[in-house]
Amino acid sequence: MSKPARFVRNVKVSEREGAGEWKAERLTSLILVPLALWAFASAWTVSGAGYDGATGWFRSPVNAILLAATLLISIWHMWMGLKVVVDDYIHKPSTRTALLGGIGLLCLALAFASVFFLVRLALGSAPLPAGLGA
Amino acid sequence: MSSSPQPGDASNDPVTDQTGRFVRQPNGRVRPLSPHLQIWRFHITMWGSILNRGAAIGLSFGALFVVAWMVAAACGPDAYATYTGLMGSPLGLLIWFGITVAAAYHLTAGVRHLIWDAGSGLSIKGADTLTWISIVAAIVLAVGFWAALFLSGKVVL
Repeated sequence: MSKPARFVRNVKVSEREGAGEWKAERLTSLILVPLALWAFASAWTVSGAGYDGATGWFRSPVNAILLAATLLISIWHMWMGLKVVVDDYIHKPSTRTALLGGIGLLCLALAFASVFFLVRLALGSAPLPAGLGA
Repeated sequence: MSSSPQPGDASNDPVTDQTGRFVRQPNGRVRPLSPHLQIWRFHITMWGSILNRGAAIGLSFGALFVVAWMVAAACGPDAYATYTGLMGSPLGLLIWFGITVAAAYHLTAGVRHLIWDAGSGLSIKGADTLTWISIVAAIVLAVGFWAALFLSGKVVL
């Protein structure tokens, strides 16, 4: 707040990370447009294709790379979007901090889980012995 | 404009106001409070905005279902059959139809926002038209996708 406001062509320059985040929101949106269309096509391919159809789909490097990009960019976009929702409606600083922390952790967990399971599926690793549905 | 406030109109003076129509903003300035929902005449860009935020929150839950699908696939054929069995139930199909609608609308509304960010379609008529297009296109995409899924026999109820 001590620095005087800077202006470029009569528009105030953002003091902190606002401008960067604005650009990141647009950049992720732009990349996600073709990726979302690809995701619709992929959903069509794997729907009703069963376990062999799904694992075969994951083993294609193009699919694995595009899905990794779709998920990671979506999670980044989701983090920025949910942050705006919390900023808009939650005014108590302690509640806001707690919520943003929880959402941030969830996004990180989702990103790590996406990469972990995607790598296993792309490499055709043996099924995990988690015993789910066994 | 006979309805515009006159200078010195006591009913419009933030200093003496007792109606609570003014708030002190975090930057210390006193500003009039926006009229709340029941005062607004509903218009289509308002719906477009509300639905877009709803779709965004819906898709955040949708991401959990996508990751769960990958977990199921990574856990072998039995786990995958359990997952697809659950998701193929009427409730599961309804959830995925909801995810499809949310994804389709967030996509079309997102493109609408990118057009606005590029400086186009910012007149009232242009914004209304873009919003209608984004809503109709999303419904066509989502319903068409599921109609094709059922018609091709990929999904059965």
